[in-house]
Amino acid sequence: MSTEQGFLGRTFGDRDDVILTLLDNMIWPILAIVILGVLVFVPQTLRNTNAIRLVLWAAVPIGLLVLAESLCLLSGHFDLSIGSIAGFSAMFTGMLLGTCPSCWGVTTNPWAGFGIILVTGSLIGLVNGIMIAKMGLNPFLQTLAFLIIFEGAKTAMQTQPVTGLPRLYVDVGGTPEFAIGVLLFAFLVFGLIMRFTTFGQAVYALGSSEKSAREVGIDTERLIIVVYTISGLLAAIAGLMLTGFVGVVPPLIGEGLVFQAFAGAVIGGISLFGGRGKITGALGGVVLIQLVQSALNNSPVVGATQIQMVNGFVLLAAILLYSTQAKLRARILASGAV
Amino acid sequence: MSVEDSGTAEQEAASSPATDEAGEPKLRVENITKQFGRIVALDDVTLDIQEAEIFALVGDNGAGKSTLMNVLSGVHSATKGTIYKDGREVHFSNPSDARDNGIETVYQDLALMDDLDIATNIFMGQFPKRGLGPFSFIDWETTYEQSRAIMMDQLGRDVDIKTEVEFLSGGQRQLVAVGRALAFDPDVIILDEPTSALSVDATRLVQDTLDRLAEEGITIVIVSHNIESVLAHADRIGVLYQGRLVDIKQPEETDLEELNELMTTGTLDAGLLDDD
Repeated sequence: MSTEQGFLGRTFGDRDDVILTLLDNMIWPILAIVILGVLVFVPQTLRNTNAIRLVLWAAVPIGLLVLAESLCLLSGHFDLSIGSIAGFSAMFTGMLLGTCPSCWGVTTNPWAGFGIILVTGSLIGLVNGIMIAKMGLNPFLQTLAFLIIFEGAKTAMQTQPVTGLPRLYVDVGGTPEFAIGVLLFAFLVFGLIMRFTTFGQAVYALGSSEKSAREVGIDTERLIIVVYTISGLLAAIAGLMLTGFVGVVPPLIGEGLVFQAFAGAVIGGISLFGGRGKITGALGGVVLIQLVQSALNNSPVVGATQIQMVNGFVLLAAILLYSTQAKLRARILASGAV
Repeated sequence: MSVEDSGTAEQEAASSPATDEAGEPKLRVENITKQFGRIVALDDVTLDIQEAEIFALVGDNGAGKSTLMNVLSGVHSATKGTIYKDGREVHFSNPSDARDNGIETVYQDLALMDDLDIATNIFMGQFPKRGLGPFSFIDWETTYEQSRAIMMDQLGRDVDIKTEVEFLSGGQRQLVAVGRALAFDPDVIILDEPTSALSVDATRLVQDTLDRLAEEGITIVIVSHNIESVLAHADRIGVLYQGRLVDIKQPEETDLEELNELMTTGTLDAGLLDDD
C-alpha cells in the first residue's frame, strides 16, 4: 500500500502495513512453529492419521468453548462460567439419563437428553445475560459467581462417574468423525454469521463501543442477552461432546477448561477488549491449544501432574503475545495518525 | 432585534425572516417547551428553518441548545408545542421517528466504532442485503460501492473504504459520521458541536463539506460553541438563553461581541458593548 493513498486512506508505510497484517493473523505462523516443534520433539503426537484424528477429536469440546468465549470477547464481554456450564449441563442431564445406582434415571430417551442438555446450558447463559444486561452486573463477577455456583452444584449432585447413558447420546461425541464435523460446522456457521449477518456485525459494534452501538440503534441489552445465551448453548454442546469423548460423565467434567478457552481465543487473535478478531483465527487457536495439550500428554519429560502448570504458562504466553500485539499496534497507529 | 421583549408576534417574525421569500419552511418548531421535572429547559421556542440553509444554534452552557437538538432528533419528546416538517405536523418519540422523517443527527461523540472500517461504520444497522433462499445476508460488494459513492460523490473524498476508523484523524472521523447520516438519505442533518476539538484544517474540511451539502439542498442545523466558525458559515444564527430563543441574526448584521452578549445576558440592552 502506498503512503500517498486517498485523503481518508491510511498514512502508513508498506512495512507498518505488513506488521499490522501479521499482528492480525499471528496465529498462523505461531501454529506453524508449534507444529514444527511437536514434529521434532514429540513426533508421536502426529505420527499418523489416527494420531492426528485423536488430536482433532480431543479438540472438539475445547473448540466449542473457544467459540463461546470468542463470541463473548468479540462483544466486549467475557464468560468465566462456560466450563462449569458445560460440566453442570452434562452432569445434570447425565443424572436424568443414567442408570448408575445413584442416578435419577428419569428417562432413557437420548433425544430427550439432547433437548435437556441444550436447554439447560442455554438457560444458564440466558440468566447470565439478563443479570449483566438488565441488572447491570459486572460480567467478571456475574460469571465468576456462576462458575462457583454450578461447579458446586455439579459436585453436590454427584461425585462418582455417571454411567449407563443411552448409546446414541454418547455416540454423538464418541464418534470422532461426527464430533469433528460438529466442531467444523459450528465454526463455519459462526464464521458466516459474524461476517455476513446484521447480528454478527452488531456483535463487533458492541465490542468496539457499546455506547456508539446504542447510538446507531442497536438494542445492546438484547444483544448481550443473546450473546450469553448462545455462549451457554455452545458450552452445553461442549459438555455433550466431552461426555461422548470420555463415554461417561466424569465428576470433574468441565473444570479448568475456561482458561484453555481464553488462551485459544486470545492466541487466535480475538481481542480481550472486544470488536476485533476473526472466527478463523479462533479455530487456529483451538488447534494450537489442543496440539500443545496432546504433545504434553505424550511428552516423556512433562508428567501428568505438571500439565496444568504448563497450561498456565500457555495462557500467560497468550496474554503476553496479545499485550505485545496491542502495544505494537498502538505505536504504529500513533506514528500514522494524521 | 431582541426576541425576549418583543412578544410572540415579533418572535415569530424574527424566527422566520425568510419564510415569505422561501415558502414553506423545511422545519418549524412552534411554541416548544421542554421541562425536566421543575426545570424548564426550553421555554416556548418558535423557530423556522428553511430548506438548504445552514442554521446555527448558539448559546451558553444550559441555554437549551442540546435540548432543542434532542427534541428535533427524537431523543426527547417536547412537553408542549408542535414540530412541523415540510408543513406537516410530526411527532417524534424516538430517534427512529425522526430518521423516518428524513432527520439525521450526528452526535458530538460521533458514535463511531473504532475497530470497524469506514464502510461498516456508515452502514451499521442498515446494511444492503442479498437474499439466499429464506435467508438474507449482508451484501458487502454493494456496501463498499455505496459507501465509496457517499464519500466520493456527496462528500468529495477519495476513500480507502476498508480503512478502520481508528486510523482516521478528528476531521476525517467527523466526515465518516456525516457519511453515515447521508446513508439514510436525509433532507435535514443536525450536528452537535461538529468542529469542537478539531484542528484548524480539520474544521475547514468539515465546514466546506457542510457548505457543499447545503448547496445540494440538504438543510443543516449546527449546535455549536464555535462562534467564529458559525459567523463564517451559517446562513442564520439562533441565540438561546436560559431556554428561550432570544434572537435570530444573520452573520452580516452581527459580530462576535454582540453574539457573546446575547448568549451571556439574553439581551443587547445590558450595556456590555458600551464603551464606558
